[in-house]
Amino acid sequence: MSTIPAAGPQAPSSPIRSRRKIDGVRIASFIALIVTTFLMLLPLFFMVSTSLKSKKELLKFPPSFLPESWQWSNYKEIFETLNFGQMYMNSLIIGVLTVVGTLLSSALAAYGFARYRGKGNNLWFMLMLSTMMLPYPAIMIPQFILFSKLNWLDTFLPLVVPAFFGSAYNIFLLRQFFSTLPEELFDAGRIDGCSELRMWRQIALPLSGPALATVAIFAFIYSWNDLLTPVLYLSSSDKFTLPVGMSSFTSSRFRIPPWHLLMVASVLAMLPIVTLFAIAQKRFVEGIVLTGIK
Amino acid sequence: MKRKRIKKTFTLLLASTTLLALMLSGCGGKSAGDVAPAGEGDTGKSASSGDAVTITHYTIDSEDRTFIEKLIPDFEAKHPNIKVKVEKAPYEQFDSKLQTMIAGGKSPDVTSHYGYGGFAEYYNKDMLLDLNDIIKEDGFKASDYNIPDDLMKIYTIKDQVYGIPVNMYVTLMLYNKDMFDAANLPYPPSDYEDKSWTFDKMVEDAKKLTHVSDDIAKTQYGVDFTWSERDMRPLYFGVEPYSQDTWTNGGVPSETHFDSPEVMATYNKLYDLIFKDKVSPTTEWSKSVAGQNGDAFVTGKLGMSIGGSWNLAGSNDFPFKVGVAAVPAGGNDKVRSVLFVDPLFILKGSKHPKEAFEWIKYLVSDEVQEKSIELSGGNPPVNTKAAEAYYKHFDGIDPADVKKVYEGAVKYGFESYNHLITNYSQINDMFINEMQPLDTGHKTVEEVMPTVQKKVMEIIKRK
Repeated sequence: MSTIPAAGPQAPSSPIRSRRKIDGVRIASFIALIVTTFLMLLPLFFMVSTSLKSKKELLKFPPSFLPESWQWSNYKEIFETLNFGQMYMNSLIIGVLTVVGTLLSSALAAYGFARYRGKGNNLWFMLMLSTMMLPYPAIMIPQFILFSKLNWLDTFLPLVVPAFFGSAYNIFLLRQFFSTLPEELFDAGRIDGCSELRMWRQIALPLSGPALATVAIFAFIYSWNDLLTPVLYLSSSDKFTLPVGMSSFTSSRFRIPPWHLLMVASVLAMLPIVTLFAIAQKRFVEGIVLTGIK
Repeated sequence: MKRKRIKKTFTLLLASTTLLALMLSGCGGKSAGDVAPAGEGDTGKSASSGDAVTITHYTIDSEDRTFIEKLIPDFEAKHPNIKVKVEKAPYEQFDSKLQTMIAGGKSPDVTSHYGYGGFAEYYNKDMLLDLNDIIKEDGFKASDYNIPDDLMKIYTIKDQVYGIPVNMYVTLMLYNKDMFDAANLPYPPSDYEDKSWTFDKMVEDAKKLTHVSDDIAKTQYGVDFTWSERDMRPLYFGVEPYSQDTWTNGGVPSETHFDSPEVMATYNKLYDLIFKDKVSPTTEWSKSVAGQNGDAFVTGKLGMSIGGSWNLAGSNDFPFKVGVAAVPAGGNDKVRSVLFVDPLFILKGSKHPKEAFEWIKYLVSDEVQEKSIELSGGNPPVNTKAAEAYYKHFDGIDPADVKKVYEGAVKYGFESYNHLITNYSQINDMFINEMQPLDTGHKTVEEVMPTVQKKVMEIIKRK
């Protein structure tokens, strides 16, 4: 009937551990999980399926699950319709630089906030948090004027450089994490003659795998999906990022938006994020195991 | 303990005051139109001869707009001291980017109302340059460029010209020839002078074309009557919801009548198509069949579709035979079609208005207007000479029909309200939100329109 995996490995030395039973509750929850997973994956499946359909099939109603004929040529067509390869590279470059900048600056600032109990520490922390309250449209124009006076328009600089100056949300996240690190570690470091910066680099950071991974994922996804900032600052077509390029698909040029091409673009655009998550997830698990042993 | 508490309170107070100050500095202040940066200084002077001047044309990032890049080499050859750069943005971000560029001192020179905002919004935010002086100096005459005077009048406010028309779309009827053939019905006429073609006759034909069944694949509807935007629809039946001064004072109505019995009767007539005559699909049905944009005609499930002539642009790809017909007469013997004339205007922040005007003249000249039809994929020119080439552009559709429909629309047309009324994007959003229960049949027209009337006056009074 159902293929429930056999009960987990039994710890031979532990008398308290009881044998896991295969009972109705476990079967029911397993089925519930499978159904939910299936539902979650359905849009993804549909996206890939649509990316392989031909243009005529898109208008069919009711829509078909699997394409009648698998149009692998769509994956070539996207490179002809848009400057897809170039835009992909641009998005990647900006994304990677943003992650590097965010990690560096946010980790440094968070370390300061977490470990120093000086005068006005709370005040500065709250000030920094309050910058999260400013909505983007409020700072959009002053920021544009600033970058235009620096002659940074139509370059990647306005998209990447602000990341090197800290991000309130990420500083907050990392600060909370850093403050859970035991003081003894840093005392030991200080006794051995570590400078503060060295303690940051060799004690705090290695222990913060999960938190840094989280920040990296957030920063990358935010930059990867960002549409408004590239639209504002980039004018040359060869500098456009993926969201900017894909937005032209829903423009007035196409009476019926070419969903098959849009889905191809989406599937390809999804790959770096999935990869990043797969890599970062390993760190997550590593981090949890480490803290468990400690 | 008490000292610590006082300190804590003080810290909180200081932080919240700082926060408040930050927030206040963010809102209020000048609008984009007022922030005229240093660049304004030399707007009056033109570049000294011999120096190459670069002008920016700002448009939507879509091939039917960016085709002008292909025209640039020819223009630059004819005008060696002018270089043209095309700046693009997606439709949804068009207005935001424009406001930002203007406020940041990098205003484009030439653009049109390609985003949500219409001409009236730009005019009332004081973003447009009055072209009278340039026109007088240049000796520009609309007739030299085969632009009808009626169209020039649309963007002339109080005798000042603000825009030069470049493209003109009309409202027309597309019909599915295959569906008419299957039902043995004669095609609707393209002649606006044909007196038999009325709204009621259209409903009659639609009834013969409508087959509703439980099987969605077999269901088809007779007509989809999307005549302009929601607030303009009473005009089709001869009822004016906005006061007459709107069209002469730059788009600020002194009175609106959305809750009058006459206006409400017109909306009832339209919703009856869905709920009483049952010849039109509900918006839910259209969305489920044709996706978010809900254009069911494209899927071949609609007999007749009233809409803008941009719908013609994709017609070569439809999986059925298409024809064009006149909009039937609905009670207004002066207005049966809606005109969407896109003008090119020069922004106030432009540093090179004279050169910008040269570019505009180039774009509306006879041969460029004709070339643009092919390059853009079917944008209708405003130039009457180039229009002949436009009528021939569509496979399977008789050019004579297109011509009759276009000329009839100009004769019996009125410019779309979204180009003429201030704060239109907010008005339109409000109409869509408030009238949504009417689309689903949850509320009646009489329940909804008084709220609409109140809100529209509030929006108009906003700066």
